[in-house]
Parts: sequence; C-alpha cells; structure tokens
Amino acid sequence: MDMLIIIQMILASIGGAVLYTLIGIAPGTDETAVLAPVTIALALTGISPYVILAFFISAIVAKKLTDSIPVAIAGIPGGVMAAPMVEHAMVLKSYGLPDVSIKKMSSGSVIGTIISIPASFLIANLILPYADRISQYAGLIFFLGAVFLALMTKNKVLSLAIIIPFALLIQGLRHLYWGLDIIPDDSTVFISFFLGITIGPIAFKLFELLNKEYRSNQPRLGNKEITFKESEKEKGIPNPFKILTKKESATSALGSFIGSVTFFLSPVGMTVFLGEFLTRHVKDPVQRASRAISTMDGLTNASYISGTLIPLIAIGLPLSPMAIGPAAGLFNAPPVFTPEHNIHHLLSMGEIMTATIIGAVIALLITFYVTIKYASQICAFVFKYIPHEALIGLFAGLVVMLAYMDAGWLNIFGTILVALVSGLLHKNGVNYGVLFMILYAAPWLLGVLS
Amino acid sequence: MKEEDKGYVDIWGDNVKIKDLGISMILCIGLALGGYILAPDNSTQPLLFGLSGGVLGFIISSIIIKPKRNITKVKGDD
Repeated sequence: MDMLIIIQMILASIGGAVLYTLIGIAPGTDETAVLAPVTIALALTGISPYVILAFFISAIVAKKLTDSIPVAIAGIPGGVMAAPMVEHAMVLKSYGLPDVSIKKMSSGSVIGTIISIPASFLIANLILPYADRISQYAGLIFFLGAVFLALMTKNKVLSLAIIIPFALLIQGLRHLYWGLDIIPDDSTVFISFFLGITIGPIAFKLFELLNKEYRSNQPRLGNKEITFKESEKEKGIPNPFKILTKKESATSALGSFIGSVTFFLSPVGMTVFLGEFLTRHVKDPVQRASRAISTMDGLTNASYISGTLIPLIAIGLPLSPMAIGPAAGLFNAPPVFTPEHNIHHLLSMGEIMTATIIGAVIALLITFYVTIKYASQICAFVFKYIPHEALIGLFAGLVVMLAYMDAGWLNIFGTILVALVSGLLHKNGVNYGVLFMILYAAPWLLGVLS
Repeated sequence: MKEEDKGYVDIWGDNVKIKDLGISMILCIGLALGGYILAPDNSTQPLLFGLSGGVLGFIISSIIIKPKRNITKVKGDD
C-alpha cells in the first residue's frame, strides 16, 4: 500500500463523510437506497477497492451519526434503522429535550463504532476456520433468525404464520420473472423487494387514502406545530464520554458488543429487542428514554459495521442483512466484483483494517463534531426549507427507479405488491426484522419445502 | 396548541397535503425513471442519471412546495 492510495482513501473518506452527513439528516432516507447504488456505481467505475472500502465505512458511520437528527427533532425516522428509536426520542422531545436526544444518540454512535471495529476483527478471526461450513447453512441461519425475531414481536402468531406465505410471495415473483425471461436465470431480484418492505407502511397508507371513505374519516390537520429549544452553544471539542453518563456508556458499549456478535441477524430486530431489553428496568421516563436511544444508536452502528466487516473478512459472501443490503456493492457488483472475486479476495485482513480505520476516524472527526455543534441550526434549516412531500417523493422516485433497474416495468408493480403486503403486516404488529429475514431465507426455505 | 383545519393528512409522522405529495411524487418518479431510461448506453451511467434525476425532482419539489410546519423557537433555559 503506497502513499498515493492512502491519500486517495483519505480524500474518499472525507467525501463520503460530507455527502452522507447531509443525506443522513434528510428524514426518510433508507440506508440501502442511498448507500447501495452509490457503492455499486463507484465499484463499476473501477476505483481501487481500498478507496471504495474507506469511502463506504466513512459513509455508514456518517449516515448513522446524522440519521438520529430527524428522529430527535420531528420523530421522523432518518432511515429504517432509526425507526425503533422514534418512540423514545418522542419522550425526550415531549420534555423539550430534542438536543439532548441528538447528543446522546450521536455519542452512542461513536461508542458503537469504537467497540464494533475491534470486535468485528476478533469475531471474524474466530469464525474464519468455520467459514466454509457457515456459508453452507446461510439459509437455515436466516430462517432461524426469522423465527427468533417473530417470537420477539408484538404479534407472535401472525409473525410466525406469515413466514411461509411471505416467502412464497418473494419466490413466486422471482420465478415469474425467470419464467417470463425478464431476468436471466443466474441473477435474482433483491434490492427492490428489500425497498418494497421498507416503504411498506407508507405505501399502504397512500393506497388507503385512495379510498374516499377512509379519507373522510381521517383527522384533518393544519400546519404541524414544532417547538424546539435553541441549545446552548457547545464549547470546545465535544467528548462523547462526557455527554453520556457512565451507565449510558456502559449499556451502549454492551449493546454494541452484542450487536457485533449477532451480526448475522436483522439489525432492526436486534435493535428493538436489545434496546428494550437492556433498558426495561429504568423507571424514570427521561432517563429510560436517553438510555434507550444511546444504546440503540450504538447498537445499530455496531451491527452495521460488523455486519459489513465480519462477512467481508471471514467469508467473502454477503452473509448478513447489512452485507446483502446497503453493503451489497462490496461483495457483488459484476463485472468488477463477484462472489468469487471481491474485496474479501483482493485485500488482506490488515489492508481491510487500515481502510476501515481511515474511513471511520475521518467520519467520526468530521460528522460527530458537526452534529453536536450545529444540530439545532441544521434542524431549523431542514424544517424550514425541506417539505415532507419532497422527501416522500424522492424516496418513491428511488424505489421505482431501482425496481425498474432490477427487473423492468413489471417489477415496479411487483415491488408495489410486496410493499402493500408488508405494510399490511407491519400495521398488524409484524416488524421489519422478521420480513427482512424471510426475504433472505426465502430461496432456501422453499427449496426445503418443495 | 390549536391546529387549524387545512385538510392535511398525517403520513409517516408529518403533515402532508395530498395534492402536493402527488406533484412531488410525479416529479421525482418521472425524473428518476426518466433519467435512468434516457441515459446514454453505458454500464454505470443510467444509475447516475437516475439518481441525479431523483435529486433534481427533490430540489424542484422543495422549491415549489411549502413545508407544513409552524416553527416556534424557545430559548434554552428552563
């Protein structure tokens, strides 16, 4: 690795951090929708794999740091991952403390990053000897993950009952596309179904609004009243360990470590489960909420980083929800990267570590500083000038385009179908985690059942 | 806090005017998909054109649509 490559990695990390600081703030930006296409596009341009990895790590760290801002201020999830935090952030907001939420969440993110990088290398080394066997059982692992997460949801019976039907819907559409020769036999549709699940609740609501009777029963609203406190100017360089109490640091470190170990499970599902589990005993609502959001933010960050790094280092196949979604471009961006020839094969473990550390450190330096210092200014800007309609529109635009990219016109409607079913299930207590796991497990599950 | 009735609905945690949402969705979907389909033939460019189209739609929507929020700032001392 020579100086030139290192300078390129640093520049790419700065670019990634700046770009995804802005994207992260925009509410409703789905991680897969904003990360996967850009990573794939970069890979296809033939940039050095070191640079792509540094860019990607910087981008996820920055994105995870800033997607907590819309949650704290408006209760709008800045991405799927931020959705579980909304409830707790709303508690803090109702006490007039959105800036506290932002600081706690960003500090949790920092802890998550710091814990998960060494943890990922450790875990990757531990599973390296079993890598071949693990990749044989990927389908089974995802299926068991779906069952496990189903048992954690509000509506356990429905979550379990839906596993096979939902897998049928996914595989049914894929086989239809293969049968109609819309996509070649050796490729599959993934990203658009993933996004379909993601936009499920919103798509379902839009379709409900098409019903006149439903529309007239909806509460009619005026402008949304938003009150927020202008926070005190933060002096000097913010220190995450001072922002968090000892207990908060400890729980988010613990959560981050567990999040790294369970890298192969759905990050959203684990965030909901562990975030609630580790903070259930705290009585005071404000303390409980701030403990929960710092833990959850650390955990999401950790599961994202480890979900990318562990499969990348140990196996070279996208064997985690993160690797198969937002990080897909590092594993599979044909013709540059294929499952047999990707960053896992091109870079040594030391090189992966160097690129990761460069990306993470740069993103933390730039984004943590900006988030803590200017959170309320950034929020004021977003609220004043960015209409919610434009964000939903942008999101819809990306989903439709990616659906078309995956499998043409027909798949736009296929994705709507997946979205409507997911939205209906989500409304009835089946969480995203279960649906994502089913999506990953579907080919194996139906292979076993048929 | 009194909310006057302007016929907005709550979608995904914020108030939205259905007509404006329609405009923004048509713009963003049209430009993103249009950019992707009309981009010159090349393995990477359709994606970049599509993404730029989506972002362009987003910017136009942000300019022509007013956010439905009333912001009250409070000084941070209790």
